[in-house]
Amino acid sequence: MSELPPTTSVKRWFVTTNHKDIGILYTITALFFLLFGGVLALLIRMQLWDPTSQILSGLAYNEAVTAHGLIMVFWFLSPFGFGFANYFVPLQIGADDLAFPRLNALSYWMYLFSGILLGISFFQGGTLDAGWTMYAPLNIPMYTPSIGSTGAVLALFMFVVGITASTVNFLTSIHHSRAEGMGIMDMPMFTWSILATVWMMLFAFAALLAVGLILASDRVLGSVYFSATEGGSLLWGHLFWFFGHPEVYIVFFPALGVMLELFQTFSGRRLVGRKWVIISICLISVQSFLVWMHHMFLTTINLEIKTLMMATTIGISLPFDLLVFSLIYTLMKGRIQFTTPFLFAFGALLLFILGGITGVFLGAIVLDYEFRGTYWVVAHFHYVMFGGATALFGGAYYWFPKVTGKMYDELLGKIHFVIFFISFNMVYFSMFLGWETPRRVFEYNPEFQIFHQFGTIGAFILGFSFFIMFYNFAKSYVSGEPAGDNPWDYSRTAEWAVSSPPPLENWPNRPSYASGKLEFVKDYVPDGGPAVKADGDGNAATDGGDTHEEHISKYPYWDKHPSHASIWPFALSLALGVMLLGLSGFSESLSFAVGESLAATTLTVSNPVYPILVVVGLVGLVWTGVKWGLQDFYAPPSEFAERWPFEGVEKVKLGMWFFLASDVIVFGAFLSAAIFVRYNAGWMTWEPLTESLPGLINTFVLITSSFTVILALVYSHRKSRQGVLASLGATIALGFTFLAIKMWEWHHEIFEVGVRLAQNPYGDPVQASIYYVTTGLHGIHVVIGLLIAIFLFVRTYQGHYLDDERPIEYFGLYWHFVDIVWVFIFPLFYLF
Amino acid sequence: MIDSLILQQGSDWRAQAEVFDEIFFVFLALGTLVGTIVVAYTLWNVYKYRDDGSEPKEDFDAPEVGELPTGQGGPKAKKLFLSFGLSAIVVISLVVYAYGILLYVEEGPDSDEDNIEILVEGYQYGWDYEYPNGHSETGELIVPADTRIDISVTSRDVWHNFGSSELRIKSDAIPGDNNTNWFSVSSEEVQAQGGEATYTVECFELCGPGHSAMEGQITVIPEDEWESWYEGTGNESNVEGAASVNGAAYGGVSA
Repeated sequence: MSELPPTTSVKRWFVTTNHKDIGILYTITALFFLLFGGVLALLIRMQLWDPTSQILSGLAYNEAVTAHGLIMVFWFLSPFGFGFANYFVPLQIGADDLAFPRLNALSYWMYLFSGILLGISFFQGGTLDAGWTMYAPLNIPMYTPSIGSTGAVLALFMFVVGITASTVNFLTSIHHSRAEGMGIMDMPMFTWSILATVWMMLFAFAALLAVGLILASDRVLGSVYFSATEGGSLLWGHLFWFFGHPEVYIVFFPALGVMLELFQTFSGRRLVGRKWVIISICLISVQSFLVWMHHMFLTTINLEIKTLMMATTIGISLPFDLLVFSLIYTLMKGRIQFTTPFLFAFGALLLFILGGITGVFLGAIVLDYEFRGTYWVVAHFHYVMFGGATALFGGAYYWFPKVTGKMYDELLGKIHFVIFFISFNMVYFSMFLGWETPRRVFEYNPEFQIFHQFGTIGAFILGFSFFIMFYNFAKSYVSGEPAGDNPWDYSRTAEWAVSSPPPLENWPNRPSYASGKLEFVKDYVPDGGPAVKADGDGNAATDGGDTHEEHISKYPYWDKHPSHASIWPFALSLALGVMLLGLSGFSESLSFAVGESLAATTLTVSNPVYPILVVVGLVGLVWTGVKWGLQDFYAPPSEFAERWPFEGVEKVKLGMWFFLASDVIVFGAFLSAAIFVRYNAGWMTWEPLTESLPGLINTFVLITSSFTVILALVYSHRKSRQGVLASLGATIALGFTFLAIKMWEWHHEIFEVGVRLAQNPYGDPVQASIYYVTTGLHGIHVVIGLLIAIFLFVRTYQGHYLDDERPIEYFGLYWHFVDIVWVFIFPLFYLF
Repeated sequence: MIDSLILQQGSDWRAQAEVFDEIFFVFLALGTLVGTIVVAYTLWNVYKYRDDGSEPKEDFDAPEVGELPTGQGGPKAKKLFLSFGLSAIVVISLVVYAYGILLYVEEGPDSDEDNIEILVEGYQYGWDYEYPNGHSETGELIVPADTRIDISVTSRDVWHNFGSSELRIKSDAIPGDNNTNWFSVSSEEVQAQGGEATYTVECFELCGPGHSAMEGQITVIPEDEWESWYEGTGNESNVEGAASVNGAAYGGVSA
């Protein structure tokens, strides 16, 4: 399984874990979704042609609007940028691959299958029709009852799971695998912007994951968060926009990175104020989490908070000013070559300037009051987000020769740019002119018809222009001129120092910047021993000082070759996709009649298809997970690398910490939701639903289990198999004790007290929902932890983990985290 | 204060539409000016520094593949901060100016007359209005001129947004929440429109398949006419049944 078939083999594309292959898969899939979302956009434009006649029903129009937004933001923009990131970030930092190649493949397959789920949702009685912002309570089944609506929500959930894996992977790679001598300030600007992007993604997508889980719970299980009048609607607004505003920069930054690279390459100049550009990028990333309520100026938030949000919003426009001026001044005194990639990057700057200026209008609250919900907003964010994507098309032309080894057709490229740029402005500038039209409305004031018709014509030309690009790429791939390793005069970054396309493991020898510029050095590898670092002249030297050498000597893997193939990422994603497809129609397919006790509760299955899919998917998920764990997949960390600021942290541990950081936000969002709704309901009107004693006992049980995990680690270090088995066994037993007490508690509440998911004899039903969903999410974490613990237990019994205690240590990190979460849940649900 | 200078024109206070038009004009003028200067300057320089095939100048230091960016001198950034500072001044002064007006819009003008408070309730797909005396109307809101109308907006089902482009007012209608706003129309305006000024109300937040057709109307009539109409309303209501049954009757607008 570890041998990678050649690129001509279909099998390769299902098993590959190589970052360049996956980059290509991402890019092509994203372009497919561009067409998908584009066709939906043309449907919208056709509907807008005449305000009095319709080609789509109101429902179908809303579905088109919703799916267009979701597809373009999630399934096109980000993955398109991350196609390049996959391919070029490892090359730019001098790594062989991303830190976790199988996780990278997993992210891609989750992305693909989530897109397929979204496609399927159109045929499940119609997809979601609540807008891409999915405002509550329109997003619950009472108002959007189709199975496809649930399908779309679950598709988004799956997409976010894939994104989370990808985020952890990029963070670990960039912080852990930079070539020797490449400090964090030395990284190329594209890599820098990707680094800022993934840091934002780590926290922003965790919030989306949480709010998506709550929505899925409302839709599939029947909890009542978003229909609650105790702040349910605003809860969605806050959580969604806490994700949604950073998301704007998440889709824009990869494009910004491309602009920063291309402006330098095609002017022959180095970036003006590079340090300040990097500082601006970091500032924006932090500030992006402090402006979300400017999307909610018209809700009931008070003037003080509005003022604060206005200030932060204007504040965030300032670093962008600096970025724009830096780009402009970089061009001056250069030797600007008007190639296709440069034209697209430069066009992107012009469009972004217009998008930025119109954004300042929106930052002034009084103007925002009137712009809210109109085409001004639509025009503005298309100029920013699609304007940014313009640079990504420039990136596609720029890197096409590197990926394929062939040169694209320059004339066709320029024709594409001219048609693209003109029609882009036709579509979106006309929206400014007809801005008083409300968003997502097709029966608009006929006064504005001329603008909308002009925009519709532009949209068709814009759509057509992409076929010039597709034709150009297809023709050049088949019969283009050979491009050579470095077709550009003034390129700087390392991807241009290797062949086109680069070899499987990227480098002829180990890349190093130790001497101040890129060199390929040959390390000395003694028989059966760890590599010895070469000095600047290419001679082997024994001085290292790199903390990582400890691991190299400790774990005997230097005689193995890195693996590049695994089918399990594909299989695991498929299983999850099947399970989620089943869940989309789950609540429509069966019904519970809750009786006096568990035995008296009856289950009626009206349609077995969906429940069967759930079971098949779930079994597949566990099976592929185990196979994944058992596979002998070797992805060594770079031996000599720059790791600031995480020197001395082992690769997998670093990844684990990043994952836990995102999980903190997930639970943080759930607990914030609980506090927000309770505050809106009147804090003191709620009493705990449950007795505090079972919760107290469970607190002790979990804390004890944290100690037993530490014992397991200690015994593993001492190579005592019995000790590891005993302490892991104790952990598992304590975990099951926790679950048993939890089940008793739930059973008691459901059948004896009558507190059910959407039913609360003491007061607000939403209180019951919050109790079950929050403690349920924690329970799922415990169950997953137990599955991993059992896996480790069996493997220990077979004799593993005595030479390498790291898997036990990393499981321990997760388990401690789950215990700490409980320490927050306990007072909130059992004491006060 | 800036706002008092702008807002105190004679003894009259200003309607939101007037305030909006002024700020919008200022922003548009400055935005166009700044945008034109920046874009023109950029285009000129891009043309000026194009690669015309001539020999590179002496100080041209071409980058090389594999160089570390921090290892090179790099161009000076003095100009960058000058431009940055200028743009920051423009943006911040614009916002301070707009903020003064925000305070006015939030507060609303003082009124000698008694304000009229109307409860507005959105539903799929229309608007109900309730007057202080308990009288209700569906679709059309009839109010007097020269009076400050305070609206309290909420929703019976999903999130809507009550807005009138011509009056430049807008409020989110959120279930379980009351959102306040105000507007007023002068009697001159009512006279100009022939004794009865009408304004279209639209929904500005996607609320379901009937969102497009979710319209209502605000009718402003002279104060004395309104008084006599209001006297006669008593307690009987004009609400057309409970028209909000989910999914039924799109565009149930009586106007």
